[in-house]
Amino acid sequence: MWHRDGTRTGSRSPAANRREFLKAAAGAVAVPYVITSAALGAGDRPAASERIVMGGIGIGNMGSGDMGAFLGRGDVQYVAVCDVRKGVREGARGRANQRYGNSDCKAYNDFQELLARDDIDAVHVATPDHWHALIVVAACRTGKDAYCQKPETRTLREGRLMVDAARRYGCVVSGGSQRVLEDYRGVVNQCWGGELGTIKSINVNVGPLPKPCNLAGEPVPDGFDWDRWLGPAPWAPYHPYRCSGSYAINGTSWRSFSDYSGGGMTDWGAHHFGGATFAVDVRELEPEEVVYHNDHGREHLTYRYPNGLLLYHNHPGAGNLQVEGTPGEKREAKPVPTYKGQGGIYGDFIECCKTREKPFRDIELAVHTATVSHLGLIAYELKRSLKWDQAAQEFPGDDEANRLVDRARREPWVL
Amino acid sequence: MQPHKMTRLAAAPAVLAGAAAMAADKPAVDQDAVDQAFETLKTYDWGTDRDKLNAIDDAVIATKGDAAARKQLETRLAAVLKSDASRSAKDYVCRKLRTIGTAESVPALAALLPDKELSHMSRYALERISAPEAAAAMRDALPKLSGALKVGTIGSLGVRRDADAVAALAGLLGDGDKAVASTAAAALGMIGSPEAGQLLSQSAKKAPEGLKPAVADACLACAEQLLADGKKAEAMGLYQAFGGEDQPRHIRLAVTRGLLKAAGKKD
Repeated sequence: MWHRDGTRTGSRSPAANRREFLKAAAGAVAVPYVITSAALGAGDRPAASERIVMGGIGIGNMGSGDMGAFLGRGDVQYVAVCDVRKGVREGARGRANQRYGNSDCKAYNDFQELLARDDIDAVHVATPDHWHALIVVAACRTGKDAYCQKPETRTLREGRLMVDAARRYGCVVSGGSQRVLEDYRGVVNQCWGGELGTIKSINVNVGPLPKPCNLAGEPVPDGFDWDRWLGPAPWAPYHPYRCSGSYAINGTSWRSFSDYSGGGMTDWGAHHFGGATFAVDVRELEPEEVVYHNDHGREHLTYRYPNGLLLYHNHPGAGNLQVEGTPGEKREAKPVPTYKGQGGIYGDFIECCKTREKPFRDIELAVHTATVSHLGLIAYELKRSLKWDQAAQEFPGDDEANRLVDRARREPWVL
Repeated sequence: MQPHKMTRLAAAPAVLAGAAAMAADKPAVDQDAVDQAFETLKTYDWGTDRDKLNAIDDAVIATKGDAAARKQLETRLAAVLKSDASRSAKDYVCRKLRTIGTAESVPALAALLPDKELSHMSRYALERISAPEAAAAMRDALPKLSGALKVGTIGSLGVRRDADAVAALAGLLGDGDKAVASTAAAALGMIGSPEAGQLLSQSAKKAPEGLKPAVADACLACAEQLLADGKKAEAMGLYQAFGGEDQPRHIRLAVTRGLLKAAGKKD
C-alpha cells in the first residue's frame, strides 16, 4: 500500500507477499531463475513492487472503459473485479488475466470482499450513481485511493461525506470527468488567458431531468444479483430498462430514473457544469442562490456565486458554455491547471496515488460541480428559487428544501 | 467554435428580480385531478402509468405556503398508508410525505417500520421529516426491530444526529448482531456529541476484532464533529483514546492528522 509520504508497506495477503518476495529477490543472485522480466519490470513496465495494485467495482459500459485504461498502464497491476452480474465480472476477470498471461485476477459479487483485501492500493468505481458514495467512502475507510466515475454523487449530503472520508484517511480520490479539462479548451484558454476581461456569466445547456420509474417487474436474469444492484435505492422489481447502462436518457436506462441518477442534469452536467465552473474559475465555490424561472412553461435557472458570477442553466437563446465577459477589458493571464503524470485523467490519478498530491479532478472539486446539478434538480422539483449555504451544506431556513439534501438508504446500507 | 460573448445576459439582476416575483405566483390545485389521482392510488401497482399521479405531485408544489391545503393533502396521503393499497402505491405516498409530512403523518409511517417491504420507505419519509415526533417514532421502534430493519433505523437516527438516541445506541454497542453494533457506533459518530464521544472511546477499548474498523471510523467522525463544534479538548481526548498501536496504519495516520488539526497545524 502506498502512503502519503511516498513509501509503501507490505501486507499479509498472498499477493502482497509475492510482491514483497519479488522485491527482496530482485537483489539476490542465488535465485535468478524465478524472477521473470515481467516481475522485475521492463521498458515502461516498472517492477511489480512499484506498481499500483488496483481493482475495479462496476464493470459496465464506463467501468469497462476505465478498466481498459488502467489495464493498459505499465505502472498498474490489476488484480480484482467486482460486478453484480456474473457474466460481466467473469468476462472482466478473463480480460485482466489475458492481459497479464496469468490467473491472478479475482472476481467478486460483493465489493466489501474486494475492499477487505489489503494488497489492493486503489479502486475505480463505475457503478450506477446511487452506489458511488457508499463505495468510495468504504474504500477510504480501508485506506484505498479511488477513481470515481462521474457524476460522483446522487445527493447533496453524499458529497461532503466523500470529501470528509478522503481527507480523514489521506486518500487520493479523483472524480471521473475527463471532459472538464479536455473538451472546452477554447473557452478555458480565453477565460484563463484574460482575453474576455472580468467574466460576468456563463451558460450551460444540459438535460433532461430524471423521472420516477414505475416499470412492471420481469424475471431476474440468471446470475444477476438484483438486490445488490438496487443496494441503497428503494426496492423495485427488476426490469431491463431500470438497470440498463445505456447512455440514453429516455426511459430505457438507469440514467433516466431519479432513484439511480440525476438524469442529464448530473450525467452530462458533470461535464458541462464542470467545464463551465473550471473555465470561469469558480471550481472551489458553490452557488449561494439558485433562481428558478418559468417563462410560460419554459423552465430555466440562474445560479449566483458568492463572487457575483452568474451561471445560467438552459438560458433561452444562449449556447452551451457561452461566456459573457467585459468588452474592452483584458486581464492578466493565469496558468491553466492540468493533469499530472502521463495518460490523461487516468494517468493523473495514478501519478497522484504515487506522489500523494491532489488530482486534477480532486473529489472536492468534483463534488462542487455535482452540487450545482443537485441544487438545480431541487429547484426544478420544488419549482422555486433557493438559497444555499456552502459552509453549512444546507438551505438556510428552508425546511422543505433541506429534506431533499439526502434520502434514506435501504437497509442494511448506511452512510 | 462559438463566440464566447453574451451581451444579452447583461441585465441579469433584473432577470433575477423578475424570476423571484414570478416564482411567487403559484399554480392553483386542480382538485378534480387530485381526486382522480387518489382514486388511481387504490389500484396503482408496478406497471401503472406513473403520470396518472402527477396531479398529486403538482398539489405538493401548489400547496406550499397554504397550511390548510397541505394538511388536507397530507391527511389523504397518510390514509393511503393505512389502506390495503399496493406496495407501489405506499412507496409513492412515502416519497410525497418525505417532502410535506409533519407530526400528523408520523403514526401512519411508524406503523410501517417493522414491515419488511415498507420499512425503508417509511424511513424515507421519517428520516427527513424535521418534526421531533419522527425521531421519537424511530427510537421507540428500535426494541421491536431486529436485523437489517434495525440497522436501517439506527442509521436514520444517526443521519438525523438525534441526540436523544444516544442512550439507546449505547445499549446497542455490545449487540450480538455485528451489523447492529457497528451501525450503532457509526450513528454515535454521526451524532458527534461529547457524550457520544465518551461512549465510543469506551467501546474502542473493548471492541472485538471484527468491530474495530467500524468503531475507529465512528471515533474519527465523532472527533471531527467535536472539532467542528469547537470542542477541541474532547476531540483530542477521543483521538488519544483509540488511536493506539493496535490500529492499522491508515487509522493511526488519520488519528495523527486529526490531532494535528486539533492543535491548529496542517497535516
